[in-house]
Amino acid sequence: MEVQTESNVIRFPQWAEDKRQIVSFGGGGFSMEAANTLLDDYVLSLSGKERPRVCFIPTASGDADHYVARFYRAFSAERCIPSHISLFRRERGAENLQAHLLAQDLIYVGGGSVISLLGTWRAHGLDRMLRSAWEHGVILCGLSAGSLCWYSEGVTSFHGEVKRYRGLGLLPWSNCVHYGDEDGRREAYHAHLQAGMCPGYAASDGAALHFVGPRMVGAVASRPKARAWCVGDRGEAISEKPLPIRYLGEPPAPTGSGDLSAVA
Amino acid sequence: MRWPDANGSRGRDSEVSISAGPAIVAGAGPIVAMGGAEFVMRPHNEALHDYVLRLVRRPGPARICLLPTASGDPQEQISSFHAAMDRRDCKPTSISLFRLGETSVDLEGHLLEQDVIYVTGGNMVNLMALWREHGLDRILVEAHRRGTVLCGYSAGSMCWFEFGVSRGVGKPVSTRGLGLIEGSHCVHYSQDPLRRSAYRELVAAGALPPGLALDDHAAAMFREGRMVEAVRSTESAAARRVESSDGQVIETPIETRMLRPVERCRESALEEMRELRAYLGRSGPGTRRR
Repeated sequence: MEVQTESNVIRFPQWAEDKRQIVSFGGGGFSMEAANTLLDDYVLSLSGKERPRVCFIPTASGDADHYVARFYRAFSAERCIPSHISLFRRERGAENLQAHLLAQDLIYVGGGSVISLLGTWRAHGLDRMLRSAWEHGVILCGLSAGSLCWYSEGVTSFHGEVKRYRGLGLLPWSNCVHYGDEDGRREAYHAHLQAGMCPGYAASDGAALHFVGPRMVGAVASRPKARAWCVGDRGEAISEKPLPIRYLGEPPAPTGSGDLSAVA
Repeated sequence: MRWPDANGSRGRDSEVSISAGPAIVAGAGPIVAMGGAEFVMRPHNEALHDYVLRLVRRPGPARICLLPTASGDPQEQISSFHAAMDRRDCKPTSISLFRLGETSVDLEGHLLEQDVIYVTGGNMVNLMALWREHGLDRILVEAHRRGTVLCGYSAGSMCWFEFGVSRGVGKPVSTRGLGLIEGSHCVHYSQDPLRRSAYRELVAAGALPPGLALDDHAAAMFREGRMVEAVRSTESAAARRVESSDGQVIETPIETRMLRPVERCRESALEEMRELRAYLGRSGPGTRRR
């Protein structure tokens, strides 16, 4: 038997072969758009399974009971196999975190405080477990704090003032959510980019960025006016490049089309 | 060693010695560790809360701030805290680290002007991680130095010691606290057998320094790192010192003073009735309005 050495492994740059996927929402989904299921439908369709296993992680909200209840209403057992992980209420939620996370098709991270989210995750080793789930092909998604967490860094205005944070770094970019929807966030993001924050992606409420590996392969929207941008410091000025975005509600209504070629 | 029955034998591994904690400052505020309590209006809870508030030396209504971090800032807990404190002469507030975005709070400014900081139970691992993340560890140590009364139950009691035993996800684990009080601490001692046995094992193995075990409704008050007294608000609630000798656990009961809450409760119930009557009728002998 021939042992393959590092040198003769051909590394294709083809992102299509990469099974690591992240969908980050600038805002939206059941947490923010009660009557609009387009973004949630989109992430559910990505696994290609009829009833994907979906695990909700509400840490950023302090595992708020009402939030968990809303998740179970939105992700009913008819369309998926829902579960959640609670790091504050040990008597509820899954027991063996690592095994449970690896068994999922989709991990959905809720909104709230990204600083609290990351602190709690690191204390429980969830940062490592989520990276490993991602590497094993579990699709990661989330809104707001649940978007910010996947990037190297970014800005959060959860503290009143806009602050820089360090994320898990699965995506080697920076991130800004609710872009253009909340006063001061965009300007603060630009200021941080000029001060040396790495370039990244900004998304408004209702816009979601789909990544395969570190590469952005498409943006989708649950609202016709939702937008996403690639933002970076060009030296003299901030470059804010609008990304092509596909509105998921356009007729003919998408019938669970999750294939990448459609969005790339 | 600052325990009343100090014996000076602290030949510990490096894990323990690193956490020497902040130096004990003269004039630092008292700390009240409670093995378990609630804000529900029951004589035994009321007695503990009165005990804490009596430690405030500044005249006027005590400023008391709740930190419900360890349980994820649930609204019901915040509401019941406010209800409990509204029955007293104090100014209650609360800080939710999960909802800082809703209102802009100057964490340091607000916490440093409190007379009492009250920490609830929940998950100690999360509590310590979140405090570090938000810089509250530093602010609380500073508040302590400036004389603020620090108190709490369950995770909110263990957080002041060098080590506690957290029953987080899975098996109970030893968890590092702020280290304002030397040694380890275990809460719900008679109420939570799983935690108790884990704590005893850790102390026996030398993985935890000796420490204080408190039942629900038992409390201990510390000044400048020294235990001043232990109290209880139910007859059976006990406080114990737990240490190891040749791999065996030794439990020594600590004498507790029984707090008598009845008078105060009756008084406050009467007062509430008077207020209710005044509110409904705005007349009658019970009216307290001036």
